[in-house]
Amino acid sequence: MAVLLLGHLLWMALGRGGSSRWQHLANLLATPPRAASARWEGWKASRRERVTSLRDATTELLQLRAQVTGLLTAREAEAPRVAEADEAIRLLGLKRLMPLAFRAARVIVNVRKAPFGGMILDQGADAGLVPDQGVIAPEGVVGRLWDVGATQASLLPLDAYNASTGVMLARSRATGVLQGLGPGKAAIRYIGNQEVVQVGEPVFTSGLDRVFPRGLLVGYVSAVAPHDVELHVEVVLAAPLDRVGLVLILPAHPQMEIQPPAGPPVDAPGKQAGK
Amino acid sequence: MSNPSGAPRVRRFLLALLCLGGIHYAAPWPGPQAALNTFLVLGLAPGFTSPLAGMAWAAAGGWVLEGTLRLYPHLGGTAFANMLACLLAFSLVLRWPPHSLKPYWGRQAALVLIHTLLIHASVSFAAGPHAWGTGWLWSLVLIPAWATLALRLHPPLHRK
Repeated sequence: MAVLLLGHLLWMALGRGGSSRWQHLANLLATPPRAASARWEGWKASRRERVTSLRDATTELLQLRAQVTGLLTAREAEAPRVAEADEAIRLLGLKRLMPLAFRAARVIVNVRKAPFGGMILDQGADAGLVPDQGVIAPEGVVGRLWDVGATQASLLPLDAYNASTGVMLARSRATGVLQGLGPGKAAIRYIGNQEVVQVGEPVFTSGLDRVFPRGLLVGYVSAVAPHDVELHVEVVLAAPLDRVGLVLILPAHPQMEIQPPAGPPVDAPGKQAGK
Repeated sequence: MSNPSGAPRVRRFLLALLCLGGIHYAAPWPGPQAALNTFLVLGLAPGFTSPLAGMAWAAAGGWVLEGTLRLYPHLGGTAFANMLACLLAFSLVLRWPPHSLKPYWGRQAALVLIHTLLIHASVSFAAGPHAWGTGWLWSLVLIPAWATLALRLHPPLHRK
């Protein structure tokens, strides 16, 4: 009895100091029962998961197929909402970059490719919209408001034949007027023959039309050809007009130049030294 | 010639064995597990005729409990406290054999408290700081069940 008690006391006292050898020994002694227990648990798990009959397996397979179908259907049902949420996140990023009072709107009808077609927004005069307000998306400029109804507004996209937008080329800074040529394409007019324009060059808004501020991305030069006294510059639009769902409406007659938002505050050197 | 105390001894042995298994399988529920350990240490183990056998059972209960808890960096504290508590309970049973239920409950309640303090002292000594838990409360609340079982169904063998 005394040996039992003293042995335990000694064991406890050893545990307070460096007892790694004892623990190692204990672990070593516990290895066989641990292995046996693991084998036992493994056997139980395998017996639980083993398929005992074809009918059970078929039933389980049918259940799994039904579950997969349900999950796929749910994913398909949620896909538009997920896409719109992604677009809204990108719009929020754009909104933070530009210090302007934007108004967000949803494109509810897009019949841009139909004759006299266009895009209809779900905001109208009730939201304070007026014609000729610029409309942009995170990828680039979309167009301008053409007609404003009580609760809806029609949008004239950049590639419409009657659309005109003041633009400038990124490298030469030459300014011109962008006119629509059909789905996804437009051309810049009034660029002189002496200008050097490269294919792939970005095209920005010039701000001269007082619809868009200077420096918004419009598209990229896709072809350049001399045409009489001016250059014929074709442009591929940057904004995906076929699948744009959420847009930002610029305020009417914005400033020509937009100051970028201020960066994060920097601590004064004296303050840093005092830390 | 058959030993008249053989059958109760075997029953007690089997009950203690069941109790050990219960402690092992009640690991997901620490409260009932602690109550089972207390039942083994204070209810069953002091009933063996040999104090060494009782202490061995109590120690086994402590080792199984700590082994299933997997909480302490060094084991052995609970087993040591179990042995001391079992020895105390054994001497009390020898000196003042219980005759009625209510005083026995009171004695077991006091022993539960002492056992709890012993456990925490020895576990602190062996493994360092640890949480107290609510096992002692379970043991106290369940005294009417396990103490009655210990006294009525399996009275200590040395109590005539």
